Amino acid sequence: MVIIKISPLLDNTKARDKKNKLFRAFVIAMSFITVIPIILIIGKIIINGIGQINFNFFVQTSPDSLQAMTAIATNKVIPGGIANGITGTFLIVLMASVMAVPLGMMIGIYLYENQGRRYTNLIRNTSEILQGVPSIVLGIISYLWVVRNVTKGFSAFGGSVALSIMMLPLIIKSTEETMKMIPNEIKEAAFAMGAPYHKIILKVLIPTGLSGLSTGILLSLSRILGETAPLMMTALGSSIINFNVTKPTSAVPLLIWEFYNDPNMVNLVWSSALFLTVLVLTLNVLSRRIAAKIKIGIKK
Amino acid sequence: MKKIIFSFTLFAILVSCNSGGKKTASDDKKVSLTSAGATFPMPFYNLAFKKYGEKTGTYINYGGIGSGGGIRSLRDKVVDFGASDAFLSDKELSEMPSEVIHIPTCMGAVVIAYNLPGVDNLKMTPELLEKIFMGAITQWNDSKIKAVNSGLNLPDIRITVVYRSDGSGTTNIFSDYMSKVSSQWKEKIGVGKSLNWPVGIGAKGNPGVAGTISQSVGSVGYIGSEYAFSQKIQYVRVQNSSGNYINPDIKTVSLAAKGQIASDTRTMVTNSTDPDAYPISGFTWIILYKEQSYNGRSFAQAESIVKFLEWLIGPDAQAIAESVNYASLPPEVSALAMHILRTVTFDGKPVLN
Amino acid sequence: MVSDKLTKAILLSSSLIVLIISAGIVFSLAGGSIPAFKEFGFKFIFTNEWNPTEGHEIYGALPFITGTLITSILSLIICIPLAFSTSLFTAEYFRNTKASGIISSLVDLLAGIPSIVYGLWGFYTLRPLIINLGLSDQGFGIFTSSIILAIMILPYATSMSTEIITMVPEELKEAAYSLGATRLEVIFNVIIPNARSGIIASYVLALGRAIGETMAVTMLIGNSNTVPSGLFAPGNTMASIIANQFGEASGLKLSSLIAIGLLLFAITGIVNSIGKFIIKKLV
Repeated sequence: MVIIKISPLLDNTKARDKKNKLFRAFVIAMSFITVIPIILIIGKIIINGIGQINFNFFVQTSPDSLQAMTAIATNKVIPGGIANGITGTFLIVLMASVMAVPLGMMIGIYLYENQGRRYTNLIRNTSEILQGVPSIVLGIISYLWVVRNVTKGFSAFGGSVALSIMMLPLIIKSTEETMKMIPNEIKEAAFAMGAPYHKIILKVLIPTGLSGLSTGILLSLSRILGETAPLMMTALGSSIINFNVTKPTSAVPLLIWEFYNDPNMVNLVWSSALFLTVLVLTLNVLSRRIAAKIKIGIKK
Repeated sequence: MKKIIFSFTLFAILVSCNSGGKKTASDDKKVSLTSAGATFPMPFYNLAFKKYGEKTGTYINYGGIGSGGGIRSLRDKVVDFGASDAFLSDKELSEMPSEVIHIPTCMGAVVIAYNLPGVDNLKMTPELLEKIFMGAITQWNDSKIKAVNSGLNLPDIRITVVYRSDGSGTTNIFSDYMSKVSSQWKEKIGVGKSLNWPVGIGAKGNPGVAGTISQSVGSVGYIGSEYAFSQKIQYVRVQNSSGNYINPDIKTVSLAAKGQIASDTRTMVTNSTDPDAYPISGFTWIILYKEQSYNGRSFAQAESIVKFLEWLIGPDAQAIAESVNYASLPPEVSALAMHILRTVTFDGKPVLN
Repeated sequence: MVSDKLTKAILLSSSLIVLIISAGIVFSLAGGSIPAFKEFGFKFIFTNEWNPTEGHEIYGALPFITGTLITSILSLIICIPLAFSTSLFTAEYFRNTKASGIISSLVDLLAGIPSIVYGLWGFYTLRPLIINLGLSDQGFGIFTSSIILAIMILPYATSMSTEIITMVPEELKEAAYSLGATRLEVIFNVIIPNARSGIIASYVLALGRAIGETMAVTMLIGNSNTVPSGLFAPGNTMASIIANQFGEASGLKLSSLIAIGLLLFAITGIVNSIGKFIIKKLV
């Protein structure tokens, strides 16, 4: 039995209170500092990019240097748009997600269920190291494996493979950590009712951890949406809209790279970046709404 | 969820109906070729390929992954042809699985850009270039620079050299020229796509170098002409081998090709003997296999490549090149290229009649 | 149950894929780097020179190894206080308020910005700032790159931490409060021990991202291929040199670049261990 006695001389409530208030102020100040560069960067993207955004931006394919040059010389908006990039990004990212998300979640669950084993630590450490591999190296690898040997030519599929490898560590980690935070009682209750293992995963673990899982998926999606280097060596790029996964395809980051290197099209870099930023924002908001709806559905 | 699917379907329909109001190539019957390589000619190629596609229905995909990447892709046979700023050396040619031919497509130059507000029409001799880029001259009002630019008011500012940190054909042409005009350079730095620079800062790509120069007063560096001509940058008039100070533009660059060109066009045309030529100029090439029957390719594919290249070295495409600030091939070089094109075979038989 | 065994088997085989992919990458890289190691031996790792001059080619990985180590660890050190505070702000102090919703959305947005754009922003906004502060002549260097990296890895460090902190069971916190603990004490004695694994995990991911970043770093680090002479001096990283030179490299240089890619695996493992150690001491 523990008796807690607080002698007035040893009462450090005031000091603890002070520390508490100081720390709170610290947290608020640091959060404020964090937000400053974010606003600066996003502000610059909006300011520099909004000028080029019009309806055509979304439905027309990328302009050529001459169109851009004439437009700048006559002070008009550069014609054309990034439709080939948008469709390509959609295609490549969709394929990458289909490969990486289920796989990553399965691996994450495996790690969670087999804590403490040497093999588990090996997998976890390997996945962490994979996170550090530069995107260009993954592009080279996918070039060697897919472009050279599988599709025998630059292809959207090659791009998806490179991007899916990039998504894996994020999904694996967020799945494992999310699962770890789920109270054991929930899992045990399901087991106690005699539910088969795969049902427990699909109907109990995943829905409960949906918020954390979707954070990981979202983070990995955001990352690959902006990646150029791996796509340069695999999907190559295209001036037209392409839905054939074994052929070269464009993507928004590839277009950004082309715009950056062309002396007349630098403005489009910011507009495309604005597009990606808004896309990521939309995905974020959507996923939160969906996760909330599913959670309410479960609670009912 | 339904809203998302609906809006995307709507988007897809809009996109397929309205790709720039021009023909879309989502039709399977359209032939498409793939190529990759140098970034230097990319604006020209993108424009030319687009126009060709509109004209004939044959669309060509191009990826600016670098000349090295272009050569690798051709070697790995994952492209129909590659593009390179530097011709393949004998060693590189021997490493290719079968004979490769070079077709020059246009010309460009290396422009010496600088940032000195109010100081226009700066002139430089090869000697000045050597001393500045090797760090022997460090101030803009150095007597040697003044001697060549007597009319200009040169400020007492430090010279900051800017070079390309990434491997580049522009560096290759520049160093090739410098090696021809300076024995010190040839010995200490040599020729190559990336070099061991004694002084200065490295920036990535033409935009990197141009951006750095435009932001730092007193800086000087080299930029590809296709980039420089479209920007409002100050650049130098370089003294050529005949002693004339030449302003780089598409005419003076084309003149650099007037002279001895190897029969396979593998020639560096820097330091040209033509009195009005800009001395730091060069070709860019497209490389392809001489024998087009490999990997199960069809005659139709081979024919479409050759016909395309025939168009590319012809007057229409060369006019397109000039419209985006590239120098066109002089007629002699076009003729030479055509001659080489006629040697492309399919199963031993020439593709062009 | 049979279906349970099947499920477990499927999970196990999925984990193998991580190993297969990594082994495949190491294998492919090792093959390409053999010419470099043959030519330079293991001295390659410690050679402080990168000379592509034809005829005198010497390549060494030391400049880039140091650059990678310094920039990634420094960026994490800058990022952690910011990320930690922001996570607490959103998940604890101002949970479920509009302000926290906006802040966490803003942070998440950072993950979607392409690295070229970070590079451009760094070049046009951050670099002049550094020059004006008198910290560096040209504004390029290790410090500038570390700052941009710190911003880039913020979403990885914050997002998951926030989620994990949110998932700490209410009962634990309430129990502590009922014992008279202050908020600060609840955070450090209840939330953090509980969420420690997840928080550290997110920092490890952030670190990995910093190690592998190419474009933004290459635009701001000055690209001098020697060991940096100071915090504000220019330098280079392993990812950056590969991205810079791969397109045009061939022969020995190509092999050296691939060797650097291979070394990156080892370095990532080492930095991860160092990083985890540092974080465990701090959190």
